[in-house]
Amino acid sequence: MDTVLIQAIINGLLLGGVYAAYSAGFSLIFGVMGVVNLAHGELIMLGAFTSYWLFVWFNMDPYITIPFSMAALFVFGYIIQKYIINRVIELPHIMSYILTFGIHLMVANTALQLWTHDFRTITTSYSGANAAFWGLNIPYARLITFFLALVIIGALWFFMSRTETGRAIRATSMDKEVARIMGVNIREIYAITFGIGAAISGLAGTLISPFVIIFPEMGLNYTIIAFCVVVLGGMGYMPGALWGGVILGLAQSLTAAYLSAGISVATTFLILFFMLIFRPAGIVGKGLVA
Amino acid sequence: MHQISTAKTFWLFFIPACIAVALIPLFTSSEYTLRVSALVIFWIGMSGCWNIMSGYTGYIDFGPVVYFGIGSYTTAICMTRFGALFLPSAILSGVVSALIALPIGIPTLRLRGAYFAIATFAFAETMKQVALEFDRTFGVKFFEGSHGITLPISGHDNMFFFYCVFAVTLAIVLVHYAIEHSKFGYGLKAIHEAEASAEIAGVNTTGVKLRAYVTSAFFLGILGGIEAYWITYITPADAFSVQKTVQMVIMTLLGGMGTFLGPIVGASFFTLLSEVLGTKFVEYYLIMVGAVIIGIILVLPSGIIGTLKARKGIRFI
Amino acid sequence: MTILECKNVSKNFGALAAVQAVSFTLNRGEILGMIGPNGAGKTTLFNCIVGIHPPSNGRVILDGTDIAGFKPYTICRMGLAKTSQIMEPFRTMSVFENVLIGALHGGQMSMKEARTETDRVIGFVGLTQHSHKPSAAISVPARRRLELARALATGAKVLLLDENMAGLNPFEIDEALELLRKIRDSGKSIVVVEHIMRAVMGISDRLIVLNYGAKIAEGTPEVVANNEDVIEAYLGRKAS
Repeated sequence: MDTVLIQAIINGLLLGGVYAAYSAGFSLIFGVMGVVNLAHGELIMLGAFTSYWLFVWFNMDPYITIPFSMAALFVFGYIIQKYIINRVIELPHIMSYILTFGIHLMVANTALQLWTHDFRTITTSYSGANAAFWGLNIPYARLITFFLALVIIGALWFFMSRTETGRAIRATSMDKEVARIMGVNIREIYAITFGIGAAISGLAGTLISPFVIIFPEMGLNYTIIAFCVVVLGGMGYMPGALWGGVILGLAQSLTAAYLSAGISVATTFLILFFMLIFRPAGIVGKGLVA
Repeated sequence: MHQISTAKTFWLFFIPACIAVALIPLFTSSEYTLRVSALVIFWIGMSGCWNIMSGYTGYIDFGPVVYFGIGSYTTAICMTRFGALFLPSAILSGVVSALIALPIGIPTLRLRGAYFAIATFAFAETMKQVALEFDRTFGVKFFEGSHGITLPISGHDNMFFFYCVFAVTLAIVLVHYAIEHSKFGYGLKAIHEAEASAEIAGVNTTGVKLRAYVTSAFFLGILGGIEAYWITYITPADAFSVQKTVQMVIMTLLGGMGTFLGPIVGASFFTLLSEVLGTKFVEYYLIMVGAVIIGIILVLPSGIIGTLKARKGIRFI
Repeated sequence: MTILECKNVSKNFGALAAVQAVSFTLNRGEILGMIGPNGAGKTTLFNCIVGIHPPSNGRVILDGTDIAGFKPYTICRMGLAKTSQIMEPFRTMSVFENVLIGALHGGQMSMKEARTETDRVIGFVGLTQHSHKPSAAISVPARRRLELARALATGAKVLLLDENMAGLNPFEIDEALELLRKIRDSGKSIVVVEHIMRAVMGISDRLIVLNYGAKIAEGTPEVVANNEDVIEAYLGRKAS
């Protein structure tokens, strides 16, 4: 078989895993609260920066920083939901996405003030190291991220179906009023959910920090990709983040390999546009349709 | 009857106000004042376009800048490649935008809520990419990619552009007036409140939405054409910049979505605030914008005019 | 003289047969009652008739024209209007404006004509004193009459009323029945879905009964009330 093709497929799958990792949080928040979190990318950015600063100041390996970035982002997300977003939860949904857009602007630009436009990278002993065989190149860092993405989604699924908080969250997403009557504190659940979504996004930021460029405005691109992934896979349907991520990753890497890098960005948006028009419930058809 | 006296009061204020604004260039010798006034009027027009579509129907469009950009490029290409004059190019820009809006609007307007917002955003980004990559991909010289297109220097001064944007914005404001007092306007508002009920009450929801979408696109196209000629240089990043969408949205939100005065109040306030703060706080500008958005949503979700309407029960503003 | 006819109308949602081959006719000037336990498919059938979902099978004939598959606004303009079980008035608009929309769009009138017609219809249903109040601020019975007014303002010849009396006390029900008779006497034909037995039995010229999506009985109120299948549908099988 053609090496270029296999390499493109592998790249696509690995890319897909990365996409899935950082889209799961977005899907969770939309699925439970109906909030399209336009500040999603900023959560990833903060996770990446947490790892960066811990690496620079304490020489911590990025993978070791995972608990820190997750904890920090959980708190951040929890506070934002509890004190800001919860206040518009009873208003039409559009208000929440304009609100999160405002949060996006504030966070991204405050980060820009604090940390400047400079591009940063984390270079560890294994950055750039590949598993090379059969003429193929598989970067270790991306491989680890791919597997961790599967672990995250699996853990999330487990949490949602087997733990009491998880079940409270699912109950709230299915029928907020009934859950309320059953004694569930909706606002608290929302705050926890956003916290979890933020923690996962922070984790994703850490996972990608060894191989992407880190800078304050990086968030918006990730938010856009998360939209695409989640629309492809089905909004609010968690395993869909995996499907969507893989499909998008493959589409991008194949177009980049055979056409051009510029086209692959256009492809992302074209795919998104057509998916929304023809199949808003996602590839597998299990997403929530507004 | 109540409605007639409201109309009379309205024209009593509106006509003198329009005349006063139209005379600004003759009463000021400061180029700066002229430029800022033109800028305010420009943004009233821009946010008015967003209001016509999203403000009245509640379908939040996150990609209106696409029609602005299409307009900019149409004017640029007509003037540089075909040697056309400005005014016909600008009008053609509106027409081209409207013609593109029609086939895009039909499938897109079937979506609701977040899906509509994302789809419109995706379309805008796609067009930006097309403008960037088209030439390179097909080996032609048309959009000029990231080099951008340079238009012929106009030799016109700020006053010329003032009157260009004034004319377009006046038209947009009159469309608002027509909406507030017409069958079409009631259709838009019905769709916003309860689309399903509107359908069974006989409102052609698809037709009404499409009309608003295409009208908005038409005016955005012309405004895009005017700006292209005014600043004489366009690139895909600028012409299709999401920043412009953000500003349209904030201004309308601040002023009050789906109201007649909303875009006027919101755009004036925000543009002037930006001028003041922008010169002093250039770096913090976007942080402030973010804070303003959050503030509006939390405190005044109906905007200034919207809140005023609700509290005082005034109609048609 | 038949004004509305359903012939073997079915509606499936995936594997669920919500409506199964239901046929009925509505005659001019008639009040046809439609009853059946919850979930029997009455609302779904109404939705098929007004065009919210196209029927999976069968034909819907309004005054001689097959309207199956037409859009809701077209059907409304052809003379068929519906009130909803869960009311959705245009909340920030006044009672007057709510009805005006029916006249403007459904009735295809000019602004001036529509305003006149709106005043007339509001007077007809007895909402004049509420005319300029916001529609979210009126009582339940008034809101029910608003739904009716909006449907009437569209100029509809046939009205489908989906539990238009839900939430009314006995006195309000009597008033509602009076209004229904008045509407019928003005030349309209009505299909009434109701759970309040004395209301629907009292007002209907004929009844049809649905259960699990299928029609199980048809006839005058007396005949239907004594029909064994109907009794069984509501009360269950008699233990012998």
